[in-house]
Amino acid sequence: MTVHDHPVATKQSFSVVGKSVKRSDTLEKVTGSAIYAGDIILPGMLHGKIKRCDIAHARIKSIDTSKALALKGVKAVLTHENVPRVLHYGSPHPRSASVTKDQYILDDRVRYWGEGVAAVAAVSEEIAEEALGLIKVEYEPLPAVFTVEDALKPDAPAIHDNGLDNNNVLPPVIVERGDIEKGFVEADLVIEGEYELGRPTAAYMEPNICVTQWDGNGKLTIWSSTQTAFMVRGALAEVLGVPLNKVRVVVDHMGGGFGAKQDLFQHEFLSALLARETARPVRMEFTRKETFFGGRSRHPGKIWLKQGFTKDGRITARQARIVFNSGAYGSHSPGVTNVGTAAMTSLYRCDNIHLEGRAIYTNTPIAGAFRGYGVVQTYFAIDLQVDEAAERLGFDPAEFKLKNAVREGDIAPSNHPIVGHGLEDCIRRGMAESDWYTVRKAPKGDGVKRRGWGIGCEMHGSSAYPGIKEQGNAIVKMNEDGTVTLLTGTAGLGTGAHTALSQIVAEELGVPFEDIAVVQGDTDVVPWDIGAFASHTTYMGGRAAQIAAADVRRQVLAHAAPMLDAAPEDLTITDGVITRTDGSNRSISLGEAVAPQRGMPAIQLVGVGTYTPTKSYSFGAHFVEVEVDTETGEVAVLQVIPVHEIGKVIHPIAAAGQIEGGIQQGIGHTLSEDYVIDLTNGRSLNPSFVDYKMPLSMDMPPIRTIILETAPDPGGPWGAKGVGEDPIIAIGPAIANAIHDAIGVRFRHYPITPENVLNALRVKLKEA
Amino acid sequence: MTRIVTMTVNGEERELPSPVNRTLLDVLRAEGGLTGTKKGCDVGDCGACTVIMDGKPVNACLVLAVEAEGADILTIEGLQHGPDRPHLLQEKFMEHGGAQCGFCTPGIVMMAKALLDETPAPSEDEIRFALAGNICRCTGYTKIIEAVQDAADEMNKARAQ
Repeated sequence: MTVHDHPVATKQSFSVVGKSVKRSDTLEKVTGSAIYAGDIILPGMLHGKIKRCDIAHARIKSIDTSKALALKGVKAVLTHENVPRVLHYGSPHPRSASVTKDQYILDDRVRYWGEGVAAVAAVSEEIAEEALGLIKVEYEPLPAVFTVEDALKPDAPAIHDNGLDNNNVLPPVIVERGDIEKGFVEADLVIEGEYELGRPTAAYMEPNICVTQWDGNGKLTIWSSTQTAFMVRGALAEVLGVPLNKVRVVVDHMGGGFGAKQDLFQHEFLSALLARETARPVRMEFTRKETFFGGRSRHPGKIWLKQGFTKDGRITARQARIVFNSGAYGSHSPGVTNVGTAAMTSLYRCDNIHLEGRAIYTNTPIAGAFRGYGVVQTYFAIDLQVDEAAERLGFDPAEFKLKNAVREGDIAPSNHPIVGHGLEDCIRRGMAESDWYTVRKAPKGDGVKRRGWGIGCEMHGSSAYPGIKEQGNAIVKMNEDGTVTLLTGTAGLGTGAHTALSQIVAEELGVPFEDIAVVQGDTDVVPWDIGAFASHTTYMGGRAAQIAAADVRRQVLAHAAPMLDAAPEDLTITDGVITRTDGSNRSISLGEAVAPQRGMPAIQLVGVGTYTPTKSYSFGAHFVEVEVDTETGEVAVLQVIPVHEIGKVIHPIAAAGQIEGGIQQGIGHTLSEDYVIDLTNGRSLNPSFVDYKMPLSMDMPPIRTIILETAPDPGGPWGAKGVGEDPIIAIGPAIANAIHDAIGVRFRHYPITPENVLNALRVKLKEA
Repeated sequence: MTRIVTMTVNGEERELPSPVNRTLLDVLRAEGGLTGTKKGCDVGDCGACTVIMDGKPVNACLVLAVEAEGADILTIEGLQHGPDRPHLLQEKFMEHGGAQCGFCTPGIVMMAKALLDETPAPSEDEIRFALAGNICRCTGYTKIIEAVQDAADEMNKARAQ
């Protein structure tokens, strides 16, 4: 049933792919010469700052900017009264399937504490900051709601007028398979539970930043830290009323994004408008506090889940109601709700399913895209409940999960049949590596510190299909000395994507890796790209690069064939040399073959690759040992054995790096990370790295990463699939299940804080 | 009020103009042209701006530029031995995959350099402790620790020979 536009290329041995070549971006990074948006310093550059509100929901009665404008060094002030009023998608995706059109650059109304209400450009950051204090805003407070429960009440204030009742961002997402009533009747055991989700945030190291400049011909250049350069271009052009060829977005290196830098932020519009008004370049950088206020978090919310199980360990029915808290704007709520809800059809097999997903506006900071995109939340609930069912039915949890694991031919959330036995392979391998039965039987300890092991599972799609029909593009040029230039639109988040794409081109063309140079991150130059997200860069962008390279290869061989008196199909390229395959040993180097001949222009060798993927699934199982301190409530993760099946691995070290980093962020949201909102007034309580606690060098356990290539997907280059999001999904349930193994308490929420552990132990002691 | 601050930066005497309330970080980046040192939080929480000042690692965002009058500053740009001749720590970060997005990398490499200057053969725990103030959000630290350990081992081998 899976249809791919291009049949998969098979290959027995690889020269570049599968090897951890030296990444093409690291010399710059370790020597400090890599250029990030904030490193752009232009002559005459002004500094922009945003004034943010200190109220969660209000109408702006008046804004007095006269004192700010009078301050020496202030060049312009913008408010809702003098910026274009164009409703736009907070996230600039090309299709509304995943995002919501509900934002203005600046509005006469604020919907969350910390929303921007005005912007200043001044000759220094200090003066801009001082000017913010001189802007007087008079608010007319409106009733505010901070929880989904309050927002759903019939008398709750409507945060947006989108035609839907009860602050719904989108009509409920309903997914049905089979007959749940029949399924529950067949069940011997029914478990029902409510799972509560915290508010972790991406906390990329590079704060949001852009520098904007208009040239004398009315063309805007913006250097911005974004994962979606072409989407930023589209939204800026639309809102500013200029054609696409008058907006150039440049992203060289970026300091992390993890999904959250897919949105378009207020400063990108405001900086462009300030630069236009002042006719000078404007730099606008979020403070760390602002990256919390104005950034995007994972969706908090609640999942009610009920499943039926038989004594012999089958899942007969699955019913869930998912309610995500979208915050003050829709951002990626439609996408997150669709993907997170649909994911619950899979992972563990079940024929009778009824799921309902919602996202609700509240007067809290905006939830958006973040690595794991709804699936972190829904698989946390499923995996915890399946673990509980295994215990209650007398099964080992790993065996129970293996027995129910999704397998070849099952219908995935995308409605495609699953390729290969990836999840089963991961569980089996992890059980062997951890010596599962032995460690589970080992004494938990009877002192202050108790130890336990847990398993969590996941699967995740590469590409956003079917929500968005995506497309990857690449251009590969061979220069007249035989070296190669790859033009790609995909952003350099730091994953090593450009290295992987170069490896793919080198492999396909038969040239050394060192002969590939990458041009990226300039919308005026590179082919259109949807952006770097959805674990699709290697899978989709890599395949496009492979197709473009194959195109050039055909052209080169056709050009060189007469030089070797052979037909193109009787030639091969290895290590930059074209050789006849008939054993005659006649060969010519690429450089010689394509060099300009005397008196003749150089031959133009340009290959174009366009690839429209469907979707592949990667799989993972995490095996985790924790130690719970019963006196302090602290949970330490002692070791993690992540097993991931990701198809053909292009760069093993970079792939492992994705897994280790995902685990770090996952340990964070499971045990400590929570962006806390004061439920009395909507104010952020911990917008700093001291109060928002992430796992750092002292907290991170040893990670023994195992990567399997047992279920390659025909959609990716040589069967490669995505890996970026997978590792953040399985770690949470693995930790929660390990805590249960250690102290016999089943938590149904994250983060599981020391206070939660102590309280639960007290309750347990009382009950005993 | 702007002052001219004189300091040695990467072995070169520099005279950099700075308002008295501006940090060493901002002055190194904007006036010094040394943008390798990064601003991740500007309040001393993340370590992305770590430079070595008179032999000690400091958060450049917590030092006023005027406090650096007469100081000897080493930034990430001054660490390599010359063009295409990276410092061993830089080599090892590349080899082990210790840099992903790279934004924390200059600060972490400088902190590791300060550690190895003082403790040439650190244990894993000592490396983790030394980097406790440097936030990396991409790597989980695994490959960073490996890179520092490997660099220390190789330096010690070279010294022993």
